[in-house]
Amino acid sequence: MSALGGFLAAREIWQAPLLASVMGGALLGFLGVYVVLRRTVFVSAALTQISTVGLVVGLFLEERLHVEAEHAHHQLGMAMGFAVAGALLLGALRPRRLPAEATVGAAWVIASAAVVLGISRLVHASHDLGGMVFGNAVAVPDDELWMIAAVALLCAALHLAFAKEITFASFDPETATALGLRVRTWDAVLSLTIGLAIPASARALGALPVFALLTLPASAALLLGLRLRGVFLVATAVGVLSAAGGYLASWFAETPTGATMVLVAALALLPGALRWARLGRA
Amino acid sequence: MTRGPVLVALRGATIGYGRRGLLAGVELEVAAGDFLALVGPNGGGKTTVLRSLLGALRVLAGRRELPRPLRVGYVPQRDHVDAIWPLTAGEVVLMGRTPGLGILRRPGPVDHRRVAGALEQVGIGELSGRRYGDLSGGQRQRTLIARALAAEPELLAVDEPTNGMDPAAELSTMDVLRDLHAGGTLAIVMVSHRLDAVANYARTLAFVDKERGLFRVGSLDEMLRPEPLSALYGRAVEVREEGGRRMVQPVIGGRP
Repeated sequence: MSALGGFLAAREIWQAPLLASVMGGALLGFLGVYVVLRRTVFVSAALTQISTVGLVVGLFLEERLHVEAEHAHHQLGMAMGFAVAGALLLGALRPRRLPAEATVGAAWVIASAAVVLGISRLVHASHDLGGMVFGNAVAVPDDELWMIAAVALLCAALHLAFAKEITFASFDPETATALGLRVRTWDAVLSLTIGLAIPASARALGALPVFALLTLPASAALLLGLRLRGVFLVATAVGVLSAAGGYLASWFAETPTGATMVLVAALALLPGALRWARLGRA
Repeated sequence: MTRGPVLVALRGATIGYGRRGLLAGVELEVAAGDFLALVGPNGGGKTTVLRSLLGALRVLAGRRELPRPLRVGYVPQRDHVDAIWPLTAGEVVLMGRTPGLGILRRPGPVDHRRVAGALEQVGIGELSGRRYGDLSGGQRQRTLIARALAAEPELLAVDEPTNGMDPAAELSTMDVLRDLHAGGTLAIVMVSHRLDAVANYARTLAFVDKERGLFRVGSLDEMLRPEPLSALYGRAVEVREEGGRRMVQPVIGGRP
């Protein structure tokens, strides 16, 4: 049987992960535009780690304390709770005597250490967790797929309804506040959507590709010199192509899925980089 | 000359951030048609006074009076606005319509007409489709003023509009503000750390310096006298007129 024949015959295996990749890629590609333009790339890295701490806590509760958390939606719920709390907390915590990077860096490094310690303490689930972190999870259960779809729909609805408020509050919070816009509320809406999208996608795609998909598609779109609406459209499309293309490439090349997605997303930077090289401004 | 109706006022207000009061007993009112400049050193509390006046900061004591709902236009310091965003000048100006539109409503033809009008009003109508980040400092400043005008304000608040500008761009920006003010009942409240920049435009001055506990308001003629100027600068300062323009200069070797 040819490689393509084998692939088509294994439809039941790849269908759900591919669908999760498409939805996760679109969601993260879109939200990444805000992440990059607000200069909060490392906030998303910290949130990814914080949501992984949620997964570790879920697995730990199950393995050590026998609290029922074996279903994907239990673990996802924990990860989402941690990520949303982290997003809101990082948004609210702005100590005057510390640069913002210090708070974000502290959150990232503490969460990373907690994940490493958690993995070292888990007996049965540490292998699964490694897959989740680096993106080798190949099986996506139905309830997880529905969860990603629900999060994607919620985020799309919120961003369609409140695009002008979220954009204004992100672009120029000082003026938005002076004009009476509730900047904290709109920041919280954005944080909520990012806080939901990261764990929902990370459970299926892995933490590494989630961070990449929040950064690279938006960067690729911005390098093309498009207007904001075009940047959102291209970043969403690049997110889909990177996640789905990376999944398919990893299937045929038998390479680790998460890392392949990252490399495919990185390829999307090339047209913009070439454009800047041609303009002589790179 | 009779003043217009009071638009907003601070009465015996203590202003500051959190629980920390920076200035106490602030008495300030802005009426329709006023041109008020808040002048003082960098970090002296001018922007805090402005934010308190606009209601963006709650006063810690005393009160802020707003006789009726007020349409405000706000022009932040140019370098507080991130030019990396891929927005055109027209899209930036359209943001000025956001608070008036309300939630879930999208801008319509009226809003786009108002944006075009605001850009024309500040003399950059042809730049509507240009990327904000590609504009010069002066053009960005005009874009931000146009955004404030797009809200059809009764009060225009402007924070350090000439910061980092060359003299030509500074004069040009100040002339835009003068022309806007001359047009009717628009009140302008402007923050500047340079008295020179506002002495030929404002009608009322407020000297602000939290370090000295200084908050003093008066007409231009009252404030450009030796005693209030010494209170602001801590040394003798003179005002000279050259070519019809006032110049504020420290007296060499002068004492307060």
